[in-house]
Amino acid sequence: MTTIFRGEERRQMPTVPADPLRKSGDGDGPGKPDVKRPDTSDLLKRMKRVDPDAARRYRQRSGE
Amino acid sequence: MHRLFGIETEYGIVVDGLGANDWIAESIALVRSYAGKSVGGWNYRGEDPRRDMRGFTVQHLSTNPDDAQFDLPDAPPLSREEERSDRILANGARFYNDHGHPEYATPECRSLRDLVAHDKAGERIALAAAQRRAQQRNLAVTLYKNNTDFHGASYGTHEGYLMARSVPTDAVIQGLLPFFVTRQIYAGAGKCGIENDSTSASARTFQLSQRADFFSVEASVDTLHNRPLVNTRDEPHATPRRFRRLHVICGDANMCEYATALKVGTTSLVLKLLEEGLTPPIKLVDPIRAVKQISRDITFKLAVERQGGPAVTALEIQRLYLNEAKQRLSGLDEDADWTLAEWEATLNALETDPLSLADRLDWVAKFRLLDAFREEENLAWDDPHMQSLDLAYHDIDPEQGLYYGLEQEGEMRRLVTDARIQAAMSCPPADTRAFLRGLFVERFGSVVRSIGWNGVAFKYNDEDLLFDMNPLVEENVALLNEEIGAAGSLDEVVAAIRRRPSDWV
Repeated sequence: MTTIFRGEERRQMPTVPADPLRKSGDGDGPGKPDVKRPDTSDLLKRMKRVDPDAARRYRQRSGE
Repeated sequence: MHRLFGIETEYGIVVDGLGANDWIAESIALVRSYAGKSVGGWNYRGEDPRRDMRGFTVQHLSTNPDDAQFDLPDAPPLSREEERSDRILANGARFYNDHGHPEYATPECRSLRDLVAHDKAGERIALAAAQRRAQQRNLAVTLYKNNTDFHGASYGTHEGYLMARSVPTDAVIQGLLPFFVTRQIYAGAGKCGIENDSTSASARTFQLSQRADFFSVEASVDTLHNRPLVNTRDEPHATPRRFRRLHVICGDANMCEYATALKVGTTSLVLKLLEEGLTPPIKLVDPIRAVKQISRDITFKLAVERQGGPAVTALEIQRLYLNEAKQRLSGLDEDADWTLAEWEATLNALETDPLSLADRLDWVAKFRLLDAFREEENLAWDDPHMQSLDLAYHDIDPEQGLYYGLEQEGEMRRLVTDARIQAAMSCPPADTRAFLRGLFVERFGSVVRSIGWNGVAFKYNDEDLLFDMNPLVEENVALLNEEIGAAGSLDEVVAAIRRRPSDWV
């Protein structure tokens, strides 16, 4: 197999912050979530939906 | 930040009606359910997990004997390619099965907010694959971004940091041990109960870390069993004579964007200190004992034994590193300054009012949410019901998970917008070599033979070519990305790659 690139590693040239995804406001630190706020009782309902035995049944193989 | 970093997350998996002996098959099927653009075939060039940065290669890696109970005796043997079922995605990420866990490895990032966005994009990609698999199976499939099954099995959330090879290995190990033992006070994801410690008199506790119970040695190349606080695997994924990739396995899976950024930002700064010659500010008598003691003390009053001096608290140890970083690294870049400011603010708040951090740190958010329930129901912390709620905190389905319930109530701080996370599901960072990996997947997938962290093997005019990306770890790769991104054809891409780097300036 032919290797077609062996670049020099420490060339001095300016970086280009050309990320088209970066929107203004992203760099201003933490902000409020841009999601709809449900009724506050939703979280309690969600907790009550949790099966109390879910962890007892939950078994996994070891990972890394 | 002046380095590449990334996060690998092994997800816990549950398919209704099935058990742990099905998880390898189900993880493979889930990964193969990914419907977005991808190519298969991982390129393992330069990878050997048995190679130790201390200068030797071990014969075998340790495995957990308990896993044998989940092996199916008549399961047909699978090739590594079949078992891994690698998918390299258009955003430069890797999605595959690892020991019965769907694993998502973010593309290399250079900024904390890019990394947060790609970590969260990984959750959405894994969730979409799980939902597709659930439709195929007509069974519910749930993924958990956590690190324990509450029965003694752990799976990892790893960080990777490119760092200078010139730092002596022992300086890396000794410099990191006190930091890793104590960073859980803000990076821990919280856990109900204690595992792997039958002697503990306080099993009915809430601890800071999911993972602290699972470390038994200070440093080694192992990851599956006999886990070390400092993993010495030597796979640089870059030019070996210049770089190491520090493979950090002692961290927790964070749901909070802020905790992810603070964990990676502080660790990156500590590595910078080591690169600048910092000698370890402190040496602990028993780091393995200390990591467990600190995890089990949410008052932060406990002091751990040090060599040659009085016992110290986790907060005091963190402040030693913070003060060094403030003196030497202020003004380094925007991420460094954000990290220094937030690191100090976090340590101050942990000292005076830890619950004020419930909007940004996982262990605090989880503790605040579950403690009221526990008191009302008169349950012990290690009650299976409490552990079920703990597990539910890490459910990555926004309609089910308790973390996402908090987020939707506006309780959690965000660092990136949903739009940015959505974009990260298909777009790589523009300022790292992941852009080039993603470009091959997006535009030239039909000629790709394999892709790895440090190269793309592809067919071009009946020739087998390897695009060696080992050297492309510096910030100036952004210019190469621009040029290759503008290429109109594979001919133009190959021509751009073949030009000398000086032509790109």
